[in-house]
Amino acid sequence: MLSTTAMRRAAIAAACSFAATASFAQETPVKGGRLDLVVQPEPTSLMIGITTNGPSLLVGGSIYEGLLRYDENLEPMPSLAKSWEISEDGLTYTFHLQEGVTFSDGEPFTSKDVVFTMKDFLMETKSKWRAIMEPVADVTATDDYTVVVTMKEPFGPFIRSLSYNVAPMVPAHIYEGTEFATNPANDKPIGTGPYVLAEWKRGSYIELDANPTYWREGLPYLDDVVYHVVPDAASRATAFETRVVSVLPGGSVENFDIPRLAAEEGVCTTEKGWEYNAPLSWMWINNRTAPMDNKKFRQAIMYAMNREMMLKVLWNGYGKVATGPITSTIPFYDAVEPTYEYNPDKAKELLKEIGYDGKALRLLPLPYGETWQRWAEVVKQNLKAVGIPVEIESTDVAGWNQKTSQWDYDLAFTYLYENGDPAIGVARNYITSQIALGNPFNNVEGYSNPKVDELFAKAATAPSDEERQAAYTEVQKILQEDVPVAWLTELSFPTLYDCSVQGLVSTANGIGNSLGETWIKK
Amino acid sequence: MSNFWTTFKGNKGAVVGLVILAIVLLASIFAPMLYTTSPWDMVNMPFMAPGVDSSVPLGTDTLGRDIAAGLAHGAYISLLVGFVSTIVSLCIGIPLGAAAGYFGGWVDDVLMRITEFFQVIPSFAFAIVLVAIFEPSITSMIVAIAVVSWPPVARLLRGEVMSLKHREFIEAAELSGQSGFTIITRQILPNTISPVIVLASMMVATAILTESALSFMGLGDPNVMSWGYIIGAGRTVLQQAWWISFFPGVAILLTVLAFNLIGEGLNDALNPRLAKRRG
Amino acid sequence: MLRFILGRMVKIALILLAITILNFCLIHMAPGDPALVMAGEAGDADPKFIEDLRAQFGLDKPFIVQLWTYVSHFATGDLGFSYRQQMPVSELILDRLPATLLLSISAFVISLVLGVVAGVIAAARQGKASDSIISTIALLFYATPLFWMALMAVLLFSVQLGWMPAFGYETAASDFTGLTRILDIAHHLILPAVVLGLFFMATYVRITRASMLEVNRLDFVKTARAKGLKPSVIQRRHVLRNAILPVVTLAGLHAGQLVGGAVLIETVFAWPGIGRLMFEALQSRDYNVLLGVFTVSAALVLMFNLITDFTYRIVDPRIRLK
Repeated sequence: MLSTTAMRRAAIAAACSFAATASFAQETPVKGGRLDLVVQPEPTSLMIGITTNGPSLLVGGSIYEGLLRYDENLEPMPSLAKSWEISEDGLTYTFHLQEGVTFSDGEPFTSKDVVFTMKDFLMETKSKWRAIMEPVADVTATDDYTVVVTMKEPFGPFIRSLSYNVAPMVPAHIYEGTEFATNPANDKPIGTGPYVLAEWKRGSYIELDANPTYWREGLPYLDDVVYHVVPDAASRATAFETRVVSVLPGGSVENFDIPRLAAEEGVCTTEKGWEYNAPLSWMWINNRTAPMDNKKFRQAIMYAMNREMMLKVLWNGYGKVATGPITSTIPFYDAVEPTYEYNPDKAKELLKEIGYDGKALRLLPLPYGETWQRWAEVVKQNLKAVGIPVEIESTDVAGWNQKTSQWDYDLAFTYLYENGDPAIGVARNYITSQIALGNPFNNVEGYSNPKVDELFAKAATAPSDEERQAAYTEVQKILQEDVPVAWLTELSFPTLYDCSVQGLVSTANGIGNSLGETWIKK
Repeated sequence: MSNFWTTFKGNKGAVVGLVILAIVLLASIFAPMLYTTSPWDMVNMPFMAPGVDSSVPLGTDTLGRDIAAGLAHGAYISLLVGFVSTIVSLCIGIPLGAAAGYFGGWVDDVLMRITEFFQVIPSFAFAIVLVAIFEPSITSMIVAIAVVSWPPVARLLRGEVMSLKHREFIEAAELSGQSGFTIITRQILPNTISPVIVLASMMVATAILTESALSFMGLGDPNVMSWGYIIGAGRTVLQQAWWISFFPGVAILLTVLAFNLIGEGLNDALNPRLAKRRG
Repeated sequence: MLRFILGRMVKIALILLAITILNFCLIHMAPGDPALVMAGEAGDADPKFIEDLRAQFGLDKPFIVQLWTYVSHFATGDLGFSYRQQMPVSELILDRLPATLLLSISAFVISLVLGVVAGVIAAARQGKASDSIISTIALLFYATPLFWMALMAVLLFSVQLGWMPAFGYETAASDFTGLTRILDIAHHLILPAVVLGLFFMATYVRITRASMLEVNRLDFVKTARAKGLKPSVIQRRHVLRNAILPVVTLAGLHAGQLVGGAVLIETVFAWPGIGRLMFEALQSRDYNVLLGVFTVSAALVLMFNLITDFTYRIVDPRIRLK
């Protein structure tokens, strides 16, 4: 579990090529059957152009599609765009669309929909998209099946921002000129994806049927997909054991249950499908107040934590101890020093050096279930052992968001997605311009360093990957020295499934983006 | 008094209840001496089954914390929440009920409307909302439990006071010019003490159950080791580590049982009249 | 009679209004608001996103304006709109209410029937072994934490023995219709209803037993015995009929609590009822849904109270409705 990225990638590549040969040699996908999986918690809406929470994306990803999909190395693959070119200077992107694609209401999908989605719809509904469109000068359709995006300046991450979860293509003929948030079509999603909504019994299940006019020949294999809503973690585990569901998407059962379930006969496990999100967990450290305003105090916190043990006991070894701000599976990661091993004596020394007075800290756990609760308890014990008393403040999701976004905390657990590129998912947490009250996902810790700001800006717009890498390497060194937040682990949420399910995860976005190719072995 | 003891001792259940309660009380008093380290310390391997290692006779939890230490320390919290929330609800219910019963008329009307109002809201749901709003802690749990459990006290008191009000000794006190407040506190309340004690013992039991249920829903105080917390923390691993949830579950069961048995014993011994009327 | 009903209706309306206002104030005191929760779930947000949501929900208006808007809608029977689920609250509740009512009423019937029967038997065998056994079992169920019993039941009957489904209201997406569907739901209902029912049963056992013993001591029973009526006839016709009053009182109180008490059971058994709806709404600060659930369950309690009063009259004609 603790292999280096390189080793893991090699292993994955080997596994893939083996799987590929095996499936071409012997296994022909069979049509038919129903796939049952768990979705937790219940999605609030399936219109993923507006609602972007995890459960909505898991289900909505089978209904809507983006221009591109990504493999586990985050290399783009065709989806609604069958091919694309990027000009030498990095300022012009040309996308050629698939022809003969229709929305589930029968209307054709054309460049008009792409331009509408990018320039009007998502600009209104998604803050993430507004950020991505900053460097974009214009989006135009040159004919029905060609879209040209022009840039004000080079912005390398753009090509990794066109997945279904960031930019799902929505039908212009339904939404144009309407109030997007209240359009009745939000309840009856109309997309180009392999499945269409059949029935949503709130509180029980969501059933999708195969889209009979799906544009990819012969797909999908399954007749229908049912997402079960089971609010209790133990019940979800039971549902899998009794095979009422045959897939437990990552994160849907408590970690402590995973080894037991994974050990059962006929159960397969995969850690794939999280490469795009690349979730990284850390504790916000409120840099604004003493003693957390002292770099050495923050370093002491890092040395005090036994993160190897946390990974082993709380996450069954799934995942990896984080070295710094960038997840090791994301482009431009570099293994630089300093890193922080478990060293309570060093922590005590640092605390003595700065004359820490033993002031108690308040710690906000993440209200996402038992593992996170236990994790806060372990951190509390670790910090107590080096002489930092901690009070855990219990709160629910609303309270947690309130307190972090209002900077009313000392230490607060969180984890965020890196979204395929450090310019999109990492910079926001460390640059000065992102210090703003009322938002739990920006620079919540209040860290400000002009050098870091400059490097992140340079890295985002540098024309070549080499220049981007150099800037990211340097910024990682500075941040790891300054410890603006206490990085914990690169999270891994293994997906458990019955081994008869084939082709469950075929993209870096996981189950939400792959079910079109999934089939069940008879 | 001797009569009381004879009756109480005659009730086998009540004696059993008293013995259990004594054990729980002793555990809560001596826990810090038995287990000098914090019950939060990770002392052994996680998921250690009971009886495997004699240093952790009841096994360890998901993080390797000693279940037995947690039980010993948790006894104090359960009893604390049980007793304090009951006292608080008595402090709300007794004055309201007594005033309603004694003064009657519009006072009775207003107070009973308020009582009714609180009875109409589903109590556990209301407790959940209260704890969530004031953020989970021992104090917010005690307040929430007290707020939802005082109406029966008020109703009981009102009934008792109404039946006492027309007795000769009260009328005599009224004639002698004592104020309403004095009559209630000096004459009436002492005569209602028995049924209140019986009800209170049952309420402690219910409060302990409510505390564990709140913890189960994830609304416990994260800084104190309580029985409800241990079950809540262990329920997700019920299948591989039954002992984590099992032992605190039994502890709650026995404690709640003890209070109920004692309550019944007290009912018979203190208040044969009430016992008869209630059945 | 008509005046009685009208009077009660006015009273019910007033209590509901008071509950609504109190809860409205309480829930708005909680930290955070629905916009923050939804921003949090999206995993990404800028101030514009959160402000847009607040404006959409009307959360940017002063508190008193929000309260007035809610109450004036409430007065016309409009429970508002769920921010999070993006549908009318009344629709959401009507969707979930049947499941809760089915569970609660089944549990209620189980507890009442088992409780009264066991109580009558215990009273008839007063002091004998069967009496102590019944009383002890009842007390044990009463002292067991509800969620714990539920978990143990799932472990035993679903996981180990495989007799019952572990969770849910029906087999999902099964397309069952007619009798098959009813049987399917019944199969899912057994565990949660029995667990909830057993918990409440204990009180009925105790009160029925005690009440029976009390009535047994009364003169008319002695008279009946003296007249040589068969003991079973006496028990049925005379004692039980008179001993049932306290049971009715208790049942009225319980009926109200069942709706709230189902929160735990609905959580463990993934039962799609309003208890769970309430808990989810609370966590996501979906104010209107939470208020709606409280109002509806309070209305149910008041309705049960009314039914209790009528039952009194039927059971004991001496009691006048006033």
